[in-house]
Amino acid sequence: MDWDKLVQLLVSGLTLGSVYALVALGFSMVYGILKLLNLAHGDVLMVGAFIGWGVIGWLGGAQDPKVAVWILIVLMLMAAMAGCGFLGVAIERFAYRPLRRAPRIAPLISALGVSFFLQNSVLLLFGSDFRSYETFDLVEPEVGISWGPLTVWIIRLVVIGSAFAMMAGLWLLVTRTKLGKAMRATAFDREAAAMMGIDVDKVIVKTFFIGSALAGAAGVLVGLVFGQINHFMGFNYGLKGFTAAVVGGIGSIPGAMFGGLFIGISEALSVGYIEDFTRGRLGSAFSDLVVFLILIVFMIVRPQGIFGKPEVKKV
Amino acid sequence: MRKGLIAASLGLLAAAVIVTSALARSESAATPAQVAACTNVSLGFLGPLTGPAAFLGQEQISWLRFGAQKFNRQNATRFKVAAGDTQLKAPVARTVARRFVADQKIMAVIGGSESQAVRVSGNLFERANLVSVSGSATAVDLTKGRPFTTFYRVVPHDGIQGPQIVTFVAGNLKAKNVVVIDSQDDYSVPLASGVSRGLRARNVNVDRESVSADDTDFSSIVANVGNDVDVVVFATQVAPAANTLSQQLREQGKKAIVFGTDGAYSPSQFKPRTGYVSVFAPDIHFDPKARALVREYNRYSKNKSFGAFGPATYMAGVVAMTAITKACADGSATRPEVTTQVRRTNIASIFGGTVRFSRVGDPLPTRFVIYKIANGKYSPAG
Repeated sequence: MDWDKLVQLLVSGLTLGSVYALVALGFSMVYGILKLLNLAHGDVLMVGAFIGWGVIGWLGGAQDPKVAVWILIVLMLMAAMAGCGFLGVAIERFAYRPLRRAPRIAPLISALGVSFFLQNSVLLLFGSDFRSYETFDLVEPEVGISWGPLTVWIIRLVVIGSAFAMMAGLWLLVTRTKLGKAMRATAFDREAAAMMGIDVDKVIVKTFFIGSALAGAAGVLVGLVFGQINHFMGFNYGLKGFTAAVVGGIGSIPGAMFGGLFIGISEALSVGYIEDFTRGRLGSAFSDLVVFLILIVFMIVRPQGIFGKPEVKKV
Repeated sequence: MRKGLIAASLGLLAAAVIVTSALARSESAATPAQVAACTNVSLGFLGPLTGPAAFLGQEQISWLRFGAQKFNRQNATRFKVAAGDTQLKAPVARTVARRFVADQKIMAVIGGSESQAVRVSGNLFERANLVSVSGSATAVDLTKGRPFTTFYRVVPHDGIQGPQIVTFVAGNLKAKNVVVIDSQDDYSVPLASGVSRGLRARNVNVDRESVSADDTDFSSIVANVGNDVDVVVFATQVAPAANTLSQQLREQGKKAIVFGTDGAYSPSQFKPRTGYVSVFAPDIHFDPKARALVREYNRYSKNKSFGAFGPATYMAGVVAMTAITKACADGSATRPEVTTQVRRTNIASIFGGTVRFSRVGDPLPTRFVIYKIANGKYSPAG
């Protein structure tokens, strides 16, 4: 057993999984409250990545930043979270709220439209070229925690750490605050919550703000750790984030966190070991096969996901 | 009654003759449109203007437009460029190709930029007798056995690139352990397989890996790269992907360097600390004879950066425009005439020498150029 390789794959999986978890949280929160699949969520991540890139450029570029690197990263995250939060609120106000009483297919189509609108807006504004965070100019790849022959780049630790901090923050918000209680009540029964004096519209707006802010942060983290961003990057992350939300149990916050990490680590391990396990019959090209096989198995065996509860209908 | 029937049949026959001749007239009336086309001719550009290889298509169309402007100025012609975005997707390329076939103003297509676009559009263009000249499609099978009689390219094919990479990696770099990665598309899989076979034949240990063209993270693949691996050959059409791969090799402390195939050639997007890249045409930045052209393009594009894709497409454009101008010598031109003139091409190349085509549409003679990259700076290596 090559332990170095295993640890390296786990670190890769945790990095990917943290990003997927942040995206899955947005999917889950919105679905929990509105029973709506926000298919534009991945594109909100993409907008966040571009906001972060804009902040780097505004503060002198990666080669010669005007502020300390950690301040730069905090500013990027804050700007992307604020920008994407307000973008999420706008999407809810103009694309979903007018369709709240429409058949369920209508907001789904609207979400697809928003997705294309965001992609093409960014294409128009920034062009089709890939943009680079040039993170290796900010922090050398050799800077990190060394363990034997292994070095884990500090930026990966920042990505994993900040994703976990945000997930913990969200968990505290949902379980320990009045807003969290209102969110849970709205998710449980929107009409009853309204009758109890909860301003449901306000709760929905705040849910969109938080979910989209998390996606914006995920966009910056993707840009930081993988370097390249482009206007169509949201699709892939949206798809994997959605898969993570379904595997974890859509509508469940711990489920989204777990699902993200589970999918990320599965993807990394399948790239690393699929060839060994299949005795060379399948190569790394088939790593997505493993990820989506997991999704199919869960849909068949446990359709409500790991943390989800089966829907019981009174007859 | 019978007379009536005969009269009616004759009447119908006469009507049919009149309708047929009217239709024939209307068809022949299309000819003046083609005559007029000599003063209103477009070149269709078939390449990725959006999507993961947009950097390539944008550079190409910019050079093509620059070429058309320059050619028009020098020859008092009025060529225009019609953009067709393939998004690096074969079905989209086929749809764009249909549009070009239907547009009578288009007398030649520049592209497809990518091999899969040529594969799906080649027979459409062939049926319409519409010539296409590519400045970057390098797959071997596009000309082997002449599957598309109206397809030409000004760049050499991967049958030349693969062995050159093998010779360089095994001979010049003396690599003993190599990882070859493809990006799961029509361009990279045959090229990566050819390189793997060639390296194995020279007793180099080869491990084959594969990534998706949309992937942005290669850290799991990099974990598979052993510490004893000398070179990672990455067959990709996405230069930023090659850049990310080289960064993640550094991040994991691997000594292997990345050797990118021609799709990765981009001095602005593939900037490893150490690496190599092969390309189908010399980068004219390094050619003193091309200084005036580079200056002129920089003025035109307001100093947009470029690599080797743009100038090769410029050359493809010049081939097509020269052929159309020759076909228009008598005041009218048809698509088959343009195809004939392209086949007879014998003009000076901006890369030195002349551009001529073999029987199957490949350029004569030609080879790939290999560049070394040190701290992001390119220099010719072989």
